[in-house]
Amino acid sequence: MTEHPGVHPEPGYLLLDLYETALPQVYGYLLSRCGNRAVAEDLTAETFLAAVSALRKEADSPLGPAWLIGVARHKLVDHWRRQEREERGLRAVGGDSAEPDDPWEVQLDAMCAQQTLSALGVHHRAVLTLRYLDGLPVAQVAQHLGRTLHATEALLVRARAAFRRAYEGEDGLR
Amino acid sequence: MTDPLNALRTPVMPIDPDPSFAADLRARLERALLEPGGTPMATTTSRGQASSTDRAARPALTAYLAVDDARRALDWYADVFDADPTGEPIVMPDGRIGHAELVIGGSPLFLADEAPELGLLGPKARGGVTHSLVVEVPDTDATIDRAVAAGAELTRPVADEPYGRNGVINDPFGHRWIVSTSPVDTGMAPGGKHGDIGYATLRVPDAERTKDFYGAVLGWRFSQGSIEDGWQVDGPTPMVGLAGGVDQPGVELCYRVDDVEAAVARVQREGGTAQPPEQAPYGRLAYCIDNQGLHFQLWQP
Repeated sequence: MTEHPGVHPEPGYLLLDLYETALPQVYGYLLSRCGNRAVAEDLTAETFLAAVSALRKEADSPLGPAWLIGVARHKLVDHWRRQEREERGLRAVGGDSAEPDDPWEVQLDAMCAQQTLSALGVHHRAVLTLRYLDGLPVAQVAQHLGRTLHATEALLVRARAAFRRAYEGEDGLR
Repeated sequence: MTDPLNALRTPVMPIDPDPSFAADLRARLERALLEPGGTPMATTTSRGQASSTDRAARPALTAYLAVDDARRALDWYADVFDADPTGEPIVMPDGRIGHAELVIGGSPLFLADEAPELGLLGPKARGGVTHSLVVEVPDTDATIDRAVAAGAELTRPVADEPYGRNGVINDPFGHRWIVSTSPVDTGMAPGGKHGDIGYATLRVPDAERTKDFYGAVLGWRFSQGSIEDGWQVDGPTPMVGLAGGVDQPGVELCYRVDDVEAAVARVQREGGTAQPPEQAPYGRLAYCIDNQGLHFQLWQP
């Protein structure tokens, strides 16, 4: 079979070459941040299908695990947005006042911290995940969440306070 | 002081998902990569080449063939049907062509290598002809000759039919083609009706200037006519001619009539003038002037 003139591989197929190695990374990233297998699978599928479209539009995209994690992060943020819309009513009832960001010196227990995080409202979970689990600078967190830097900083303060409150427990048993 | 929440930092830890999920997603990706619709041929857009079969220009129906050797098929259809490849074929990791586009006489044709895993097989794999494709060509005999020389099987010899001259071949990939050349529509041929405009003649002082002008404005091309400084415009309907060397520019229309002798009599009765009808290769023609001085012609095919 001779190569037809002008024939060259479609960039999307490079994704298939990468699939075996990239799939556990994308899935691992998403599962550890959303904590739900079904959601992680959905978001993983969304990530790879979006990657096909992105590669077809921008063949020069820096295809690799890091780039795919970036796509996955966008899908995760989209997921949080959907969740937040559902939770909005509840939050209006619960109130969400800003609290002072007291210095807090404690060695977090990783298991308890993850549990605490998963119990928070989605807007707090989102900002803490991007800031702390992913280790993104606040400016990038703001970009992902579509908020201003100032609003994101304020949200972080509230999210930290909510996390601390939940982590320590109302009666301080932790 | 370090932020205690920094302890939440979670580097990406690979986790193997459910194998059946992994296999399903892989299949979805492969399908997504095979689908040309929705996303145009990425390889062509990313290289800035416009496909001639873009959405605006594409007709409602496009044949999409499964062939057992897409590379050979691309060459074969180009040689036999004068097909122009558009864009660049999409090649799959295993070397198969996942998608390719051609244009035959302005119509798109898509093709791809067979994909048994998707149930896409050519006629040979199905055990015989599954459908026919009808292709209009300028010269049926020449196309059929080229096809047979290039390995097609002639299944019906070329013959004249009321709807055109045609023959049938099975190409080397098993696809059945009805190759046809429709009867020539001369524009002066039967089919018009009494009172139709059969022909328009531009009468001008300088035919060359008219050719330049309408060539630039309408893209008209002209070929030498049968009379001196007479020209035929290629293409428009009804047919248009050009005659140079007259003093006053004007357009002279030629009307089709059922009975030119009777029509000439009516012209004279209504205050116009008419020369006796004369025999032309395309019928009988009478030059007339109406009751206000407008020149026209009457034509009986």
